Amino acid sequence: MPIDWKSYPADSVYDELIAPGGRARKGASALKQALTALGDAELSERRHAAELAIRSMGITFTVYSGEDSGTIDREWPFDIIPRLIMKAEWDRIAAGLKQRVKALNLFINDIYNAQQIIHDGVIPRVYIDKSKDFRPQCMGITPPYEAWSHICGSDLVRDGDGTMYVLEDNLRVPSGVSYMLENREVMKRVFPELFSDYVIHPVDDYPAELARCLRSLNPNSTRSPQLAVLTPGIYNSAYFEHAYLANAMAAELVEGTDLEVGTDDYLYMRTIQGRVRVDVLYRRIDDTFMDPEVFNEDSTLGVPGIMRAWRAGKVALANAPGCGVADDKVIYTYVPDIIRYYLGEKPILPNVPSYRCVEKEHRDYVLDNLDQLVVKPANESGGYGMLIGPKASRRERAQFARQIRANPRNYMAQPMLNLSTAPTLIDTHAEPRHLDLRPFILTGEHQYVTTGGLTRVALRKGSIVVNSSQGGGSKDTWVVDL
Amino acid sequence: MVDRTLSSTAQRAYWLGRYLERAGSTARLVSVNANLLIDLPVRLPLGWLPLIGILAQEDEYRTLYGDRSHNKNSTLDENEKSVARFLLSDPRNPGSLINSLSFTRENARTLRGTLPRASYEHINDAYLFAKETLQEPLSRSRRNAGLKDIMSRLDQINGFLSSTMLHNASWQFFRLGNFLERADMTTRIIDLRTTNLVENESDLEPFADIQWRSVLNSLDAMQSYTVSMQNPVNQPDVLEFLLKNADLPRSLLRCFNTVQNCLRSLPKHDQTLDLIQQMRRQLQRARVKNLQGPRLHRYIDARQKQLSSLHQQITDTYFPQS
Repeated sequence: MPIDWKSYPADSVYDELIAPGGRARKGASALKQALTALGDAELSERRHAAELAIRSMGITFTVYSGEDSGTIDREWPFDIIPRLIMKAEWDRIAAGLKQRVKALNLFINDIYNAQQIIHDGVIPRVYIDKSKDFRPQCMGITPPYEAWSHICGSDLVRDGDGTMYVLEDNLRVPSGVSYMLENREVMKRVFPELFSDYVIHPVDDYPAELARCLRSLNPNSTRSPQLAVLTPGIYNSAYFEHAYLANAMAAELVEGTDLEVGTDDYLYMRTIQGRVRVDVLYRRIDDTFMDPEVFNEDSTLGVPGIMRAWRAGKVALANAPGCGVADDKVIYTYVPDIIRYYLGEKPILPNVPSYRCVEKEHRDYVLDNLDQLVVKPANESGGYGMLIGPKASRRERAQFARQIRANPRNYMAQPMLNLSTAPTLIDTHAEPRHLDLRPFILTGEHQYVTTGGLTRVALRKGSIVVNSSQGGGSKDTWVVDL
Repeated sequence: MVDRTLSSTAQRAYWLGRYLERAGSTARLVSVNANLLIDLPVRLPLGWLPLIGILAQEDEYRTLYGDRSHNKNSTLDENEKSVARFLLSDPRNPGSLINSLSFTRENARTLRGTLPRASYEHINDAYLFAKETLQEPLSRSRRNAGLKDIMSRLDQINGFLSSTMLHNASWQFFRLGNFLERADMTTRIIDLRTTNLVENESDLEPFADIQWRSVLNSLDAMQSYTVSMQNPVNQPDVLEFLLKNADLPRSLLRCFNTVQNCLRSLPKHDQTLDLIQQMRRQLQRARVKNLQGPRLHRYIDARQKQLSSLHQQITDTYFPQS
């Protein structure tokens, strides 16, 4: 039996493909038709083909588990119905992302230098002083192009009225881009005929753009800089991606033990022939693990002396240490002000309206309306440590209220958005599932935004948690011209 | 041109080669042994336990399967089941086929920056296939068919790597691992069949040749033997062939030659190259045809010691020092 769109519930939320009443949205009708033309058997077959492709391509992510093995590799959960974005809308979003990340980089550079934005009273000093990710070791440094967060992954969500908001900016070590690339490969294997109905903008230029961005950071006078990707190793949840990107850029994939800093303050990797200098390091480990001489002295993942090498301007680190100071959910609430302050422009993309718990008026409102708000800690990622007010029990809310009162600086709150949905294949019928979108923005000599990004979808009915470690899956994202 | 191969990459490529080869030899050993037993009289004290001996895993086996399995009274069938399980699918045995494949996969995974993209796919497929195929209960016929498929997949992986991987330093390390493991297995197989050959029981003499045939089969060398030696299977010729034939892919000399070529193309090879050249010269000079019993065993033992010092030398020269 083909998918019955009439009974598809698209009336109470914004659905990306289906308008209220079951009609296809602009641009989606060819896709809807193609899906309708497939019977149950064929739908299952395609889904099975996708699972097989993912399994044999070895597209995995690693989950920490308490069981004896410690970690397990899981195949990447993928839904075969793509998500569509019209090119015109995407162009506007891409411009907004560039604007945003440009301003955020200027902000980080300012914080580690003159701190003009604090002197001018736009952002209170307390937020910087108490920031978990402010690194005094970075003071006085200005990296090339004043760029600190060279690779940023911003999360976008669409609310019930169709507005696209920026939910957060992951400025430290965002992951997911390899899945965006692989999702497209899987779709080409599974639904080759769909690609003839659309002009779908390709996504596969990302690794080349990333390599170009990294090369532009080369601090040394070599014509072709040695690039390396620093991974914590195969037990990291994103190891697949580290290897994927290193491979695609022809960069060396290294672990901390492959590297050393010489007495000349240059960074070297250990090869079968001896030491070879590394000019640009794309590091995929957190600041605090990077250099046991400066940060966490127990860390075995990092490289002793690497901060010294970076400060001496002998190696470029992407992302630069300390850029997490802007990746803080309270600083997030200031991003529109940051854009206006540094660029003198009106923000193109809106923030989700937010309340800062440190401000008494806001805090009182948050505490009075916990059952309608989502409360987030300033410095967590992966959806951990959040309170989803409307879904929490009375007790959970009471406990969260105590935490907020005890440490208001650490919390901000947002209204519960009515996240948009898209049809997702459940057994052999389509059901709406909530989703978000993570595009990646590169900043070096030039700026670049991925075409679309990684669409993450909450596979559990009604859930809005899209993280792969917590029951999330993903979809291919098509930016299309009609 | 500076060779930028990381020491850790070299080490992983080397172990990838070793484990891939080891998985194949284990599969071949089990399937050849099954065939051999069909041709032997029941009272011949051979059976399955010698395979554990080949791999020098008597202690691990006893720990996991107890003394009961060493009991002469336990039936051939019982031994077959537990030995096959221990060698093929037991996750507790670090040397089992499934673990060799799992280590192969793990090394391939950490070499994703080096290997052609699709090779991980092939290796992963082979691992998943073996895991599924070797699941208990495993009847003899299903096992034989499964092992055949597994061996052919492993051959395909070798072929795929050879025809798609850059033949750079990582490739040389892969081959080093491959051929050192191969040399090691060839000597082990000869050694085992030698110590277990029944030399005094004259009524069993007709079966001695069957055993040498199974040695050749274990190394996929039966057909090549017939072509090269033009003689019925007999111990002196088999020894000469398996140790010193320069064309047989699994002969000791051929392995040494390949190892020497690999080392020659790598940097910093003075010491390793000296050692392999010395090993080769000794092998070429040796009169192996008439080695018998304990003397043959001592000879083989000395080759294995050399192989392990070569392994150590390679480790010290190229791999990360902990």
